Formats: sequence, C-alpha cells, structure tokens
Amino acid sequence: MPSWPDFQPFIVSGLALGGVYALSGVGLVVLYRATGVLYLAFGAVGAMGALITWSLVRAGTPGWLAWLVCAGFGGAVTLAYGLVFGPALARRDPLVKAVATLGLTLVLFGLMDLLWTSSGGESRSISLPTDGHGFTIGQVQVNWTQVIALAAGVVIAGGCGAFLRYSKLGTAMRAMANDRDITATLGVPVRRVEAAAWLGCGILAGVAGLLLADLVALDATTLTFLVISSLAAALIARLRSLAVTFAAAIAVGLIHDLLTPIQSLSNYRDMTPFVLAAVALLVVSRRRVIAMSREET
Amino acid sequence: VARTAGLGAAARERLTLGLPRGRPDQRPGRPALIRTAVVTALVLFALFALPQLLSLYYIDTMTQVAVYSMVALGLGLLVGQVGLISLGQAAVLAIGAWSAARLLFATGTPYPVVLLEAGLITMVLGTVIGLPALRLRGLYLALITLMLAGAITVVLATTNFPNGGHGFLGYNGSSVHIPPIRRPSIASGDPAYFRYSVIVATAMFLLVLVHIRGRPGRAWAAIRQSEPAALAAGINTTLYKLWAFALASFITGVAGGVLAGAVHYLYSIDFQTQDSITLLAVVLMGGAYSLWGAIVAALLYQLLPALLNSWGVSADWLTILFGLGVLQVLTTAPAGLADQVPRDLARLGRFLARRARRPAPAEDGTP
Repeated sequence: MPSWPDFQPFIVSGLALGGVYALSGVGLVVLYRATGVLYLAFGAVGAMGALITWSLVRAGTPGWLAWLVCAGFGGAVTLAYGLVFGPALARRDPLVKAVATLGLTLVLFGLMDLLWTSSGGESRSISLPTDGHGFTIGQVQVNWTQVIALAAGVVIAGGCGAFLRYSKLGTAMRAMANDRDITATLGVPVRRVEAAAWLGCGILAGVAGLLLADLVALDATTLTFLVISSLAAALIARLRSLAVTFAAAIAVGLIHDLLTPIQSLSNYRDMTPFVLAAVALLVVSRRRVIAMSREET
Repeated sequence: VARTAGLGAAARERLTLGLPRGRPDQRPGRPALIRTAVVTALVLFALFALPQLLSLYYIDTMTQVAVYSMVALGLGLLVGQVGLISLGQAAVLAIGAWSAARLLFATGTPYPVVLLEAGLITMVLGTVIGLPALRLRGLYLALITLMLAGAITVVLATTNFPNGGHGFLGYNGSSVHIPPIRRPSIASGDPAYFRYSVIVATAMFLLVLVHIRGRPGRAWAAIRQSEPAALAAGINTTLYKLWAFALASFITGVAGGVLAGAVHYLYSIDFQTQDSITLLAVVLMGGAYSLWGAIVAALLYQLLPALLNSWGVSADWLTILFGLGVLQVLTTAPAGLADQVPRDLARLGRFLARRARRPAPAEDGTP
C-alpha cells in the first residue's frame, strides 16, 4: 500500500483534471438545458481544435493566436451544427438529438484521422507557457497550468450559474429549459438564445480540448473519449444542477488520479467515470416513473 | 393534447415503416411467397456461388459481413423493434468473443455447442447488466450502455483475450507461439468457414423473424410506440424489454463466437468504444426497421472498407461518410437505406411505367 506522500502529487493533478471536467460538464449541462441537445461531439470538437492549434504553433503562429483559434474553432463548428441541425431536429426526442451529434463526432473523427495521421509515430504535444512555472506546496510541484485548469472550472461553473441567474439571456435560457413553446410565445427570440448557447458551449469545448491536450495527451481518440468523463459528471447531476456537476467532476478527476499509485487498481482507474456515472444513474432512478411528459426522466 | 396527437402521428409513421406484422390472413399470399423465394435464392447463392466467385481476401471479408450482420441484427432489434438505443454493442460482441475463445481453448466441445454456450453466457451477462438499466429510458439508457461499454473496454484492455494460457483468464503474456483459436473441423478452410458463418447467421435471422412475427414482436411494437399505453394494455413491459435485451445479447454473443474462429487471434484493441458508435451509425443508415437493414449495415461496415482498401482510399473517408449518413438518416429518412432505396426505385419504376403508357390509367392503386 502506498503511503501518503505518494498520493500528494496526484491530488494536484486530479484537481486540475477535475477542473477541466467541470468546465466541460457545465458546458454540456447549459447547452442541454437551453436546447435539449446532449452534445456528444464536445470531445471531438475540442480534440480537433487542439490539433489545429498544434499545427499552427508548428507553422510558427504566435501561441496566443493559436489558442484563440482553438476556442474559435470550437465555437464556429458547434454554432454551425446548431444552426443547421438544431431547428431540423428541434421537435424530436432528446435521444435522437444526442445520436445526431454522434454523427458530427464521426465526421470530425474521420477528418482528424485523415489530416493528422497517427501512423508516422510522431508524438504531438501542446505546451502552454504556464507549464514551466509554478510553486511548491509541501513537497509537491504545482505548475500554473494546473492552477488555471482548476480555476477555469471554478470560474466557469460559478460564472455560468450567475449568468443563468442574473442576466437576461440566462433567464431566457432557463425559461427555454422549462418550455420552449411558451418561451417563444412570450416573445423571446428562441433561435438567437439557442445560438448563444451553442456558441458558448463550443468555445468551452475548444478551451477544454486545449487544456486536456496539455494536461493529458494530444491524441484524437484520447481527447474525444476523455470527455465521456465530463459527461459522467453531467449525468451524476442528472443534467440539471451546475453545482452538482462541478462537485462530481472534481470527484471524478480526484478519484481517477488517486487510484494511480495503488498498483492493483491502477490499470482500472480509467473506469472511474463510467462506474461513478452508472452507479449514480441507477441509484437516482430507483423509483420507476412512467410519464408522458415531454421531459424524459 | 397536441403533444399526444403529435406522438400518435409519429408512431403511426413509424409503424407503417416497419415490417408487415400480425396480418389477419395467415396464409402466405403471393408477395410473401416471392419474398421467401428471393431470400432462399440469396442464401443459396451466398452458400454455393459466392465462395467460387470471390478471391480469398473477399471471402474473409464476406465472413466478417456475416458476423456483423448478426451484430447489426441484434442492435437493429433493439433500435427498430423496441426503440431502445444501445451504444455498447462492440463491448457485448467482445464478451461473446471472449467467452467463445475461452471455451474453445479450455474444452474440446463441438463448435456449435460452443457458439450456443457463448451466446448464453453473453445473454446472462447482458440481462444482468440490462435489468437495472431498464429502469432508465431513452437518452439515459443509451448513455448508461455507453458507460458500461467503456468500463468493459477498460477491463478487457487489462485482461486481454484468452490465447491458450492458464488460469481463469487464459492469457499468457509471455508466450511466443500463440496457438490460433480453432475452427470447426468441417469448416477449417476459409470458404468452408464462410459457408458455416452464413448458416449460423441465417439461423439467427430466422430466430428473430419468429420473434417478430409472434407475441413478443407485437409487444415490442406497442412498447416502441408508447410505453405507458403498452403498460395500460396489460403488457409486461419490463419482461418484454428484458427479453429483447436477452435476445439481442444472445445473437451478439453467437456472432462473437463466429468472429473468434474467423480471425483466429483476438486483440482487445479491436473492440473500442468508437466501434460501438460506428455500429449504431451503420445500423441507422442500413435501416433499423427492416431485417434487410442488418445486411445492408454489415455490408457498409465490412465490405466498404475492404473495397476502399483495395482501391487505395483511406478508410477515414468512410468514418466521415457514416457520420454524414447518421445526420441524413435522422433528419430525412428514419427507415434507412433498406427502406429508402426500394421505395425510390419503386417510385422511379412507377414513373417510367406511367411515361411508357400515358393514356392508360394507373393500376397500382387498385386493391
């Protein structure tokens, strides 16, 4: 059994990972509440943004511009998808809407394999200037990227909560989460509010992709499916509460990384989000509800 | 109220797109006879003519098509008949392949028995997993299958597939001379194994057909249209949903067994979460409401990559195509290619016929 000092570095990396999961989870929940779409292409969009950034940096583009492009790419792709397929599928089941985003995932996945072939054996990585600097707590090295990741999670979760609560656009989004038709009747420009949600979620996807590429690895498959972990956090919160999403994301990140030094469980640590989400879903849905309402329980 | 009406219209639309089931007249009419004849001819063609016509490369490919037509059949049963979406069928297939490989290394039982056992093991596991998951519906059920499949993939990456080693897992990491997974003695060659897999696949299709035509098929159709209504009509929805899960898992498990013999060596890297998503994509593209759709899906999933490979085109284009296909199917053609192509062809035929004999009145509308 490893001792306490073995765990310490993994608390830091786990918190950083949890921060990024929280950021992505909040993006997923806000988009789902506003438009009814569970955006399963979130990871693929982030991965492609990160790969574009990598290519730009290698071509000599200044770093800050490449990062902006990453976030911008996420926003642009997501907004375009939302504008084209959002209205077309607006009246369909949430399940159909979610499966449709898997179509986008496959398209992006194929494009990434095509444009950034992995056969060359060339390993890619993104390093942010904040990687090299940091400080120590006790004996543990903390770099600024990890701090930024956790801070981004906190700020985005808190910011989105405040935005939804106090701003006019946020109120419109909450109204649409309750009832799209009545909201439209009340004169809220439904399409425009939805577009704002798509754009925001896409930008978050780009940022999450960039941070994960730095913290974990720059690889299309890894990044695409790492966001299943943030989906787990969103699911634990039943796609509703931002606070629960944040807490669950931090828990997923922490448990995942804290299992690393335990030898017998280390190989299975990637199961953490799946197991947590499965257990949470099953426990929460203990009571069987039959309802004809629009909202799927 | 408007909502219920809309739901009814959607359900009606879906029902007319499905198979003709539960007809009042049980005597096979002429269309049914023709259909049976066409299917028999196709199966005989696949059994006797295809192995003569194709090169070894394409015979192997067609064996994979037979395997994945069973996988698509199981998934199509869930999606098209019951309205449940599973995002974890690649993991179920892996369980079937794992069990079959373990049994084939451990025992000398005949191959059909092993297939049956692999199917039953997968069925039991699928049911055990499915039972709690069935409390969930719609989106959440699909997501929990995705989560469970992800977990199974992680476990498989650590345990690996059996390769003749000892112990429960049967994995020997250090072995240099890994024995291949055996095939049935009557079908050790590739053409013979292809015939074998076609026969197994045909049996699975018949099994599903019997279910769809019978009581379970009607119960599933009711559940698909509206679960509360099915419940109110006295249908044991939990039992029939579980039944569908069990049947789909059984078929996928048998497919895993056939796959184990087809490839001789199994690697956990071949069963990825992404494959489950691609599988769902091709099943939706092929058409989940028709049994033909399963075959179309398998051709899309296995034959197209082989063709592209021999033409020197990257298979990544196919992933893009499948993604676009899903979007197209979901927005415009819910019944997939198996429905769309014949309907468009029929429309074209009617159009041409009308052009040919314009003065005569149209005859196809008369009873």
